[in-house]
Amino acid sequence: MTLEAATAPVVHPRFAELEATEPRVTERHVAWLFVGTGVALFAVMGLAGLAMRLTQAQVLGLSPAWFYRLMTLHGAGMLAGVLLGTMGALWYVVRQTVPLSMGRLLVSYVLIVGGAVAVVVATMVGGFATGWTFLWPLPFHSFGQWPTWATGTFLVGLLCIGAGFFVFCLDVLMKTTETYGGLLRTLGITYLRGRDDSPPPPQVLAATVVAIEGLEACAAGVMILVALISRMLDSKLTIDALWAKNFTYFFGHSVANLTIYLAIGAVYVLVPRYAGRPWKTTKPIVVAWLFTLLFVMAAYSHHLYMDFVQPGGLQVLSETASFAAAIPVGVITVFTGLMLVWGSRYRWTLASSLVYLGFAGWVIGGTGAVLDSIIPFNFRFHNTLWVVAHFHTYLLLCVVFWELAFVTYLLEEAAGRTASRAQTRLALGGMVIGGYGLVAVWYLSGVLGVPRRYAVHPAGTAGYSLAASIFVMIFALGFLVLLWALVGLARTAHARRYENVEVRDTWSNSRWRVRRRLDEPDGALRPLPRVAEPLGVVFTGPVQLGLAVATAVVLHVAFLPQTVDAAEKSTGYYSLDHAGQFLLGALVGAIVASLPRVAARLDRRTADLGIAAVIAVPAVMMLVMLPSLYGPLVGRPALQFLYHVGIAALGVVLGLGAGALGKVTGRFALLIGVSMAVMYAAGIGGG
Amino acid sequence: MTPHYGEPQVAVGIAMVVISALLAAVFVVGWRQSVADVPYERVQAVGYWVRKRWLAFLCALLVVVIGLSLFELPYARGGTHGTVVTVKGGQFFWSIDPARIRADVPVRFDVTSLDVNHGFGIYDPAGHMIGSVQAMPGYHNKLDLTFHTPGVYHVLCLEYCGLDHHLMQASFTVAP
Repeated sequence: MTLEAATAPVVHPRFAELEATEPRVTERHVAWLFVGTGVALFAVMGLAGLAMRLTQAQVLGLSPAWFYRLMTLHGAGMLAGVLLGTMGALWYVVRQTVPLSMGRLLVSYVLIVGGAVAVVVATMVGGFATGWTFLWPLPFHSFGQWPTWATGTFLVGLLCIGAGFFVFCLDVLMKTTETYGGLLRTLGITYLRGRDDSPPPPQVLAATVVAIEGLEACAAGVMILVALISRMLDSKLTIDALWAKNFTYFFGHSVANLTIYLAIGAVYVLVPRYAGRPWKTTKPIVVAWLFTLLFVMAAYSHHLYMDFVQPGGLQVLSETASFAAAIPVGVITVFTGLMLVWGSRYRWTLASSLVYLGFAGWVIGGTGAVLDSIIPFNFRFHNTLWVVAHFHTYLLLCVVFWELAFVTYLLEEAAGRTASRAQTRLALGGMVIGGYGLVAVWYLSGVLGVPRRYAVHPAGTAGYSLAASIFVMIFALGFLVLLWALVGLARTAHARRYENVEVRDTWSNSRWRVRRRLDEPDGALRPLPRVAEPLGVVFTGPVQLGLAVATAVVLHVAFLPQTVDAAEKSTGYYSLDHAGQFLLGALVGAIVASLPRVAARLDRRTADLGIAAVIAVPAVMMLVMLPSLYGPLVGRPALQFLYHVGIAALGVVLGLGAGALGKVTGRFALLIGVSMAVMYAAGIGGG
Repeated sequence: MTPHYGEPQVAVGIAMVVISALLAAVFVVGWRQSVADVPYERVQAVGYWVRKRWLAFLCALLVVVIGLSLFELPYARGGTHGTVVTVKGGQFFWSIDPARIRADVPVRFDVTSLDVNHGFGIYDPAGHMIGSVQAMPGYHNKLDLTFHTPGVYHVLCLEYCGLDHHLMQASFTVAP
């Protein structure tokens, strides 16, 4: 069996029989922007990784200060790059059936790239070096290594990256649920119950699950980042270390993990092109995604296994969820992928080979993750290089492979051919040998007990780092061959966009040939699909409106006197009191937005304002809870009253904003906006 | 201190190698079979049969592994009848009191931090990593261990804590 040679067709002959849509011009351009930036960031951050490995191998003489700066940049920059690439790929495949907004996607792009630039400035210019995890209170114990502005720049940078992903998730959730008629139908639950014959395609299921989990993760991220920014503005503010660690990892672990699920959405569309078999939504796939929705969010807490004060039940829940999260992957997603490939006369191209290799990286990396997630094992592997090994296995050898597969697919489609056999073998051989060699050394070092995040490794272990550095260089060579192959495909694609036309000069009667750009195919310019049902309102019908009013009144009457009373004794309760006022305002705002007269005026523009409101308002609300702002008001009832009215007014803006996002997304935004305020109150104090 | 391969870690490493090799074999077979022309109905019939059993196996494995792990949780429970060792981490030092303990006597490490998060990683005299617990500001994590081998035990920081994180080392002695 051999790989297809150059000029061979790039899709399976049976693919034409499958129901597939031609991507639009804008989708191709946007995908290029995202995936191109993602791959560029990967290359730069990869070089930073090589410099770190060479330093540990005692070949390069980076000082510890520079090592830890690079380490911080490598982690945060890679996250931004991989996120961008997989977001672009998923958006590209989902937009063929769902009218996702291009404007909002570009806002996400600007925020994430802006955030990445801020991270570069904070680390390379400001010397910020806490690792991407920025664990409280390390950003404020710099040991003279970085100034306050660098801390602020880094935190704002990550806030921008989180906000960018938040915008993306809001748009995806809003548009998928509109297009397929509600959350239950979009998640396939209606189909599962036998009440729907046409469930959404699997890439839409993936997008919806990622959007829900992404919103939760980003809400946690905004909360912890705003808490640290508040601490920077007001030194009286105190933050609970366990609370901070939980939310930091809920954000960071979840977003990093979600990049795989973003990428699988694109893989659902790519595999049928090469296997000639459709990847349809089936009941097992729906069940797998519903379990993924549950397990991925609960798994983050394995980062806190060695924090023995974390409640024991949460530890065991996390252990179970971390193991169980592998079951939908192993039994449904990868298994189905293998079934589609098996006996299909699979069309082996550079892109389809990367897709196939990505499946292997996912399950092998998942094995390392599951072993590490078993608490007694983690007791001996926690924060050793084993951890670095497992997440590099599925990020480098799965997510990055799929990101590169997507770029290659775009170029192969445009060029009408794949790379040459030599290029394919060299590129894949280099990346597979280099990649697996690199992670194997890390696994081995983990077994040895070598700690992660060390600028200087323990005595006698430099040889491992040297071996790893050599494997990185082998990977880099493979990657360079891949880039060379992609340049060749791009040149062919460019040439195919033009035709040679003979032109005759009527004066001199001379003839010559000129190149003329060909028109885009008709399908590439077709209009966007229509949504199945309009946005809807947060509270539908008088019963829900009545229930919302009753809930608001009961909550406030039952809750407020106690919290006001307790506020005099405890700052936590005083913040909870503010969260109560915020909740009241938010419910009022959502009720107003649900009134028929108001709802009739909601449109796309108000939805944009709504997105801005649900992101900015909870952040502002948390920022104004600074002890130095509220403290001087104590004993001045009129000013205190106005402050509380202001908090409730912010809640009203959140409610109105959520109302503009429609029934599903609006309710979700309302819930997480208010939850952020309540959870924030649980972790901060001072003043 | 020069680390050495610990026994339980080697067992986990071997498990990783075996499982990865089996998975890699599946992908190699899948690759070789990809060029064949098999009706998808046939692939589905066999695939669904295998998948049901694969699911049952993984679910059973989950129950067994999680169940067994509950007997080996490192979290300290109840009171202690042995020595209490107070451990405080700070940038970039460890304070261990007392730093000399007796072999075969239960020890409860009461671990906290004076500033940022640290990781209290314990290596035995031969350099085997035997476990870790986090040192978190404002909290006391309690780890119960009984040492049977006398000698000098080394401590490395296992949570990144700043510029000299890799230099944050200490030791304590287990006397016979």
